[in-house]
Amino acid sequence: MSNDFTRREFIKMGSRLAVVMGLSSSAIPDIAEALENLATGRVGVMWMQAQSCSGCTISMIDSEAPGPAELLTRYISLLFHHTLSATTGEMCMDIIDKTTSAGKHILVVEGAIPDGMPDACMIGHRSINEVVKNAAASASYVVAIGACAAFGGIPAADNNPTGAISVPDFLKKSGVNTPTLVIPGCPSHPDWFVGSLVYLLKFGVPPLDDMNRPLMFFGNTNHHSCPRFYDYERANFAKKFSDPGCLFELGCLGVVTYADCTLRDRNGGINNCIKAGAPCVGCSSEIFALRKSMPFYRKGENLS
Amino acid sequence: MAQKVSIDPFTRIEGHLAISLDVEANRVKSAQCKGEMFRGFEQIMKGRSPLDAQQITQRICGVCPVSHGLASVFCQEDAYNMQLPENARLIRNIMLAGNYVQSHITHFYHLSALDFVDVTGILGYTGNDRFLLGVKDWVKSEVASKKLFPAAPFLPRYEGEYLTEAQGNISALRNYFTALDMRAMAHQLVAIFAGKMPHMATLVPGGVTEKITTKKIALCRSKLSELRTFYENNYAADVLAVAGAFPSYASIGRGCGNFLSFGVFEDMANNSSQMLFPPGVLIDGKFSQLDTKQISEEVTYSKYSSDSGFGTTKPQPAKSGAYSWLKAPRYQGEPMEVGPLARIMVAYQSGQDSELNRATKKFLSNTGLTIDQLDSCLGRHAARIIETEVIIKNCEKWIEMLNPTKPTCVDFNLPSSASGEGLVEAPRGALGHWIEIENYKVKGYECVVPTTWNCSPMDGRGVAGPVEQSLMGTYVADKDHPIEAARIVRSYDPCLACAVH
Repeated sequence: MSNDFTRREFIKMGSRLAVVMGLSSSAIPDIAEALENLATGRVGVMWMQAQSCSGCTISMIDSEAPGPAELLTRYISLLFHHTLSATTGEMCMDIIDKTTSAGKHILVVEGAIPDGMPDACMIGHRSINEVVKNAAASASYVVAIGACAAFGGIPAADNNPTGAISVPDFLKKSGVNTPTLVIPGCPSHPDWFVGSLVYLLKFGVPPLDDMNRPLMFFGNTNHHSCPRFYDYERANFAKKFSDPGCLFELGCLGVVTYADCTLRDRNGGINNCIKAGAPCVGCSSEIFALRKSMPFYRKGENLS
Repeated sequence: MAQKVSIDPFTRIEGHLAISLDVEANRVKSAQCKGEMFRGFEQIMKGRSPLDAQQITQRICGVCPVSHGLASVFCQEDAYNMQLPENARLIRNIMLAGNYVQSHITHFYHLSALDFVDVTGILGYTGNDRFLLGVKDWVKSEVASKKLFPAAPFLPRYEGEYLTEAQGNISALRNYFTALDMRAMAHQLVAIFAGKMPHMATLVPGGVTEKITTKKIALCRSKLSELRTFYENNYAADVLAVAGAFPSYASIGRGCGNFLSFGVFEDMANNSSQMLFPPGVLIDGKFSQLDTKQISEEVTYSKYSSDSGFGTTKPQPAKSGAYSWLKAPRYQGEPMEVGPLARIMVAYQSGQDSELNRATKKFLSNTGLTIDQLDSCLGRHAARIIETEVIIKNCEKWIEMLNPTKPTCVDFNLPSSASGEGLVEAPRGALGHWIEIENYKVKGYECVVPTTWNCSPMDGRGVAGPVEQSLMGTYVADKDHPIEAARIVRSYDPCLACAVH
């Protein structure tokens, strides 16, 4: 590591991450130390894509402080990533196999697993089901990132032609007991991933809810810090898109969706869905997109 | 005796692609392009509320969700017979422009450049850029370590000829990292009105839920101006530097020779005849107007049970002879290339004056290239920088036209039965969504997607898809490191999650 990268910078980064994780300033030295250890130890991360859209990958590289460049060259050793690895072709399978047999890596899985049709997701002539099962069994931790990996998401929605299921369900079925963090969202927020990763490496598994979501990010609902909260209190409801007021009657699921989007904002603090007049579609919730009987918007005939 | 060469998984694209080649005396004799992941979006859409469509279909792709969202609201607005406010058109153009810039920067630096730029060149770096010195120390310590895979994810790689000119190499490498911030900034530009990216929250039939404020206009200006500076000082220059160092790639990677564009960026609200990038069709160099009735999809070599085209196919993974989850779309029975190259070819060959046509002519006269040479591996990269310039200039104009005192959205009534067509150009090319509504629910939903055209398998006549045709005849120096084939395939910027969906 560059000698220029001083302890001062770890402290600076630590203070930003303490904010990300909702910790008080007393945690900054601990986090700075974790970052320093990360930079010297550099944990091996393998990121597999199953039935995914790459949206969580794209969201992760929208991360800031630490940005993607720092993540890649300072904190983690990204052994394999479908979208980012220079490696292509059969060499990839060599990396995946050797990492799997060495073990003690962190396996990140993006996307659902086609449990009913393994041919629906193949890599190097093998089903992703087999590759994920083996790589998860020898990993220290598994991170199921995004709505599809966390709860099945759109691939597992009604009509589900491939028998898609979530990563935790797949691992349970396969008898793999590796500790698994569930970080939902469509896409997942980069802070949720980076914050969880740092916590995992410094303190171990963070406090989780009953679905294995880190409470530091998913402990409250979006309603809790909603910018339109007072409209809700005064029953001032928007009747059509782009109206001012609470979006509840248009279908907003902020009241039942455990996430901190309204507090944290998206894309470097630029905006968030509800602030922008868009009803929360519950992309972090365990029911996201699954039922055709539960449309995202309530309008006209959908009101009944 | 032909040898089998397989590139599986094919990385640094979106999604799950495998390429298999028959190579004889170092020449590719035949190629197969295989889509390896299927989810079934069209089936999943059935029976849902039509208003779910723009949310569900955006999730086909996390790299170009804006295009799917737009195609989806366009087909709904066609079905609901709606007129849009001017602000809605402008905001949608701005969001799509931001997504194009993000997609093109990501494609060049993070997906393609590692095929040309030599990462190990950092070891010879003698300058004083603090970040680069950090990367140098890191690569040094990684290579010296006993790790199984040092300097991942940048090594290992296919070995071959990389950039040898040290200054250009280091500059492109530095910009690999700067571009990470720039593409995030392009997403911030989208999120100003989209709420978040990927997967816009605010897009609905009738417009956009977010409102215009002077603060948002100022934010848009500042993000776009930084992106413009990066485009002018770095992106365009780095593409030209790579092109200068690998001139032979202007004569390989030629596709099927047919091009299709649906047209994009409406110049006036509710008037699809005025497009910044014009629609059109080129078959054997002959220009004709777009007629979407000429589009068909067939599945002879695709893993689906029926070949009656739209809507009736069922997955059949073990189908004999089938080698891809992609269908084979055809226009008048012909394979078509879509994407940035198709857009500039259509604009140029239409003979009509347009900004894209003028920008293409300027590029040709500056570089001394011919229009024919653009139909190549390097030409596809060049097409992206040509159109990025036009997009940025026009996006500046759209931002200034935003009117905070006027609405961004109109209301509508959902019809019980209707059907509609939505056409747009995604960064990767022509994208169409078709919706059929019955009893307020989706009865049928079809998407014909850019990479489905480009990476399509053979059709029933045995005619190969555009990427497959591009690979045929390519010289491969080392069959264990088929970097020439990899460069050609990546020039198309394949997106497999889109292609199969």
